[in-house]
Amino acid sequence: MSAVTLNPPATAPERKDRKPKLSGKHLTIRVLQYLALALYLIFLGFPLLWLISASMKSSGELNSLTANLIPQDFHFSNFSEALQKQGLVRSAGNSIFVAIATTILVIVVSLPGAYALARFKGKIRAAGTGWILVSQVFPVILIIIPLFLILKQVGLVDNLWGLILVYTTYTMPFALWMLQGYVQSIPVDLEEAGAMDGASRLKVLMGIVFPLLKPGIIATAMFSFVSAWNEFFFALVLIQSPENYTLPITLKMFVGGEGKVALGPLAAGAVLATIPSIIFFALLQRKLASGLMAGAVKG
Amino acid sequence: MKLRVKGALGLIAASSLLLTACSSSNEGNGGNEGEETAPFTMTFQSLSDQPGAIAATEEIVAAWNEANADRKVEIVPAGWDGVYDKLVTQFNGDSAPDIIHYEAASIIPFAADGYIADLTEHIPDEVKSDVDQGVWDSVTVDGKIIAAPTEMQSYMVFANKKLLEEAGVEIPTGDTMSWDQLREMAQKTTTADQFGLAWGLKSPTATFMSLGLGFDGKYFEGTGDDATIRIGAGELEVPKRIGEMAFTDKTIDPVSLTQSGSEVLATFYGGKAAMTVQGSFQAANMVKDAPADLDWIVLPPLEGTTSADQAANPQTISVNIDSEHVDAAAEFVMFFTSGENMAKLNQADALIPASKSAREVIATETKGEDGWDMTLKSGNHLTSAPFLFVNKYTQWKETVATPAFQKFLAQEIDIDQLGTELNAGWEQVSR
Amino acid sequence: MSTSELTTPSADSVASKATHRSRKPQMRGVGKAQRREAIMLVIPSLIPVILFSVAPLLIGIFMAFTDNTLKRNHETQFIGFDNFVRLMSDTYFWESFKIGMIWAFSVTILQLLAGMGLALLLNSNLKFQGFTRLLALLPWAMPPVVVAIMWKMIYSPNAGPLNAVLGSMGLPSDINWLGDFSTALPAVIVVGVWVGMPQTTITLLAGMQQIPEELNEAAEVDGANAWLVFRSITLPSLKPIIASITSLNFIWNFNSFGLVYVMTEGGPGGKTMLPMLFTYIEAFKNRNIGYAAAMGDLLVLVVVALLGVYLWTQFKGDKIK
Repeated sequence: MSAVTLNPPATAPERKDRKPKLSGKHLTIRVLQYLALALYLIFLGFPLLWLISASMKSSGELNSLTANLIPQDFHFSNFSEALQKQGLVRSAGNSIFVAIATTILVIVVSLPGAYALARFKGKIRAAGTGWILVSQVFPVILIIIPLFLILKQVGLVDNLWGLILVYTTYTMPFALWMLQGYVQSIPVDLEEAGAMDGASRLKVLMGIVFPLLKPGIIATAMFSFVSAWNEFFFALVLIQSPENYTLPITLKMFVGGEGKVALGPLAAGAVLATIPSIIFFALLQRKLASGLMAGAVKG
Repeated sequence: MKLRVKGALGLIAASSLLLTACSSSNEGNGGNEGEETAPFTMTFQSLSDQPGAIAATEEIVAAWNEANADRKVEIVPAGWDGVYDKLVTQFNGDSAPDIIHYEAASIIPFAADGYIADLTEHIPDEVKSDVDQGVWDSVTVDGKIIAAPTEMQSYMVFANKKLLEEAGVEIPTGDTMSWDQLREMAQKTTTADQFGLAWGLKSPTATFMSLGLGFDGKYFEGTGDDATIRIGAGELEVPKRIGEMAFTDKTIDPVSLTQSGSEVLATFYGGKAAMTVQGSFQAANMVKDAPADLDWIVLPPLEGTTSADQAANPQTISVNIDSEHVDAAAEFVMFFTSGENMAKLNQADALIPASKSAREVIATETKGEDGWDMTLKSGNHLTSAPFLFVNKYTQWKETVATPAFQKFLAQEIDIDQLGTELNAGWEQVSR
Repeated sequence: MSTSELTTPSADSVASKATHRSRKPQMRGVGKAQRREAIMLVIPSLIPVILFSVAPLLIGIFMAFTDNTLKRNHETQFIGFDNFVRLMSDTYFWESFKIGMIWAFSVTILQLLAGMGLALLLNSNLKFQGFTRLLALLPWAMPPVVVAIMWKMIYSPNAGPLNAVLGSMGLPSDINWLGDFSTALPAVIVVGVWVGMPQTTITLLAGMQQIPEELNEAAEVDGANAWLVFRSITLPSLKPIIASITSLNFIWNFNSFGLVYVMTEGGPGGKTMLPMLFTYIEAFKNRNIGYAAAMGDLLVLVVVALLGVYLWTQFKGDKIK
């Protein structure tokens, strides 16, 4: 983080004007900026590159003492081996199911709540935002034991629906926060116009507010999906039968006794587990960024 | 967009079908209220991770299912890693399997907490006499046998024959081999770009406590809550000797001390170390993974000043006390541990069967190849160790012993400080 | 292109807030009906929160005053402050607490510095914007378990690329980064920074894009160099955002579990035993859940106190200005 990165942002047309007269000083600054950018890109991207490379290496090469980014010969069999491995496909199915159900529930439940948070000032808003903050402070370890006992009472331990309910609860604070930012960005006038036409509050919500919230809903949905897809701790404690494992748990269990690991299939499984979220991010990257910001900037 | 939504809905539908399928099968085995006439299925959580052992387990279970169509067994594969925590939550969530595969040291705390069924009456006399009393002791809690021992591991020295010969080392062939011999061999085989020994001691406690028996290092006296720690010269002898080799002689690869046994194999395969100490089960991996031109052998079992004893911490199978079919499950346990089945399983895992009859089968079938001669010899030195019956042992191991041993191996503390830490840590966890 | 799109929702919301506030009193007078409406809207989100968040939290806090364990048929007794008294002299816990503090502080600070640098780069019209932004979000898209597996390979002493690079530069190439006492904690801290960069970067970037262009330009006209612009304009404008993102990061980092659990399980020699791991072991290995809850209570108190002090100094400074 050095001064060189601090060239003031210029708008696009201006940059075109300036380009021809880049002074020597500006030029060195630019070069240094690109250098810094390159370092960031390596830091951020190289580990994934290495993982992908490892997923295509033979077990002989992985267990040797030489390190090459390009595999000596390509072993796509790691992927088929990973897929055949105990329960990877089933746990991927579980993960998809849990993530989608969580996403839908979060949106359905948070939308009205976020609307109330944004539009009704006063106690509700204070209590709501207060809770959102408090819920971040408490470590899950303190919650997990009683949560386990509560879920056991209602028969939802070792049950994907139990996990979905828990994920919904713990994704909601952030979802509420993001969504209410979007609600605030919708001019109240629009709603009032609707209300004057005699439409009920529900109709106004369904007909005017929610459609306008679409970008926000998409961003929040992605956030929920990725959170549920990635989650490890709750699943570790609450899910017990291998048939109910989610993907992160199965991957963790790939490691055998005494640290015995089939590195190739493990890397292949890890790559497969990353693909859904990466696709999401690539497709909707910009919307997500703005959604995150809508929530974050007001924090 | 519409397409995507459709796809998502399809996935939900598919997954919920899957879910209902799963839950209905669960009801299937839980719903029979003691009516032994109705067919039922028992779950068997197996930790086998070698392809050969998985196949052997499946074979044994298939044989059982064929003969017992109305009380089938279903294998639920799980991993060794984190299985202790998993069992804690499984028992507390009432979702533990009927039949549980584990190891003596780790299943005993569950037995002490009251989660494991007493198998004493289910074990026939001929089975009892087929297994050494020392091994039975390792699975007995308050006079009750709570598990059937299946496979046992001993620590063996694997060697690269070519490197030993190049260094002019005479390859020992006796019934045992002394620690001094090991040290000497390591000195001779250490060169500028090769270490005499690579020893994966990332999780050192089990190794130290097991090999410690050879120097009469028992670590604990008494049992249950009354156990007390005993750290004397015998207990510290193994760390001391390893320390001398690693730090004074510099004949042990220092990096290997921070790695797991399996991670060290790469060093051994790569010819960067002449010898490596590993669990006997690694022979199965070497047969599979070692480079074709590597001529590896197994050296005689290590002998301390008092004996060549190592701690028997057998793998076990036990029955969940809350299972609805304790009797049937116990019968399966007896079927599973029959001499023939144990020979099959242990051979696949390169482990030592608890029963003598199974050892004989292996001895004749393998003719002692792939290191089996030495591995089976070491089986005669496996005996029960006091630490198995100490209630706070796991806790002491996790929070005190492992960090302290690791610190010693990283030369953060010396041998005297190690003794002090082991003692002081016990005082804290045992109050 | 991205600039305008990124700022839209928040910029709009600022405007709408103003109109919203001025009009509301005139238009809405139906207090009671409105409150009922609000409650109806909130209830769906309230039920799961109460059942699965508030209730377990309260029970968890209370459990610290019992001797509850996970043994079969255990009879739980109320034991007052015994757990806390014992905790005070539990040197292993305090050692782990210290490690947790080192971890949380260094990760949070490094995240801020690294995220700030990247946000500045993303905010200065370089090429490859879209690609960089995607990569910047990448760590967030990966499950922590995968991240841990991946970095274990990077750090591996056998054929790990990090050692290979060091070796090719003539440096020692046989370091077991996650297994060595002196390198294990720094090594996991680097991974912690890697994982937490996306949220920090994006948040800071959003903040930067809210700074009116004219401010920067005016400063430039005055002949201020980049560093001065950063110090006198960017940094002060970002202050509230920095305060909130560092607070959140600190909490998240202090409470983090999965990453280090998979990478080192607290080893070697407890050098990476974060308090959450320690508490997890107490609860699910040693099965003393009452004692573990006491640890949890204590950790919450410490975090709340630290945050209170931090935010207080931040906002006190604002008021003086």
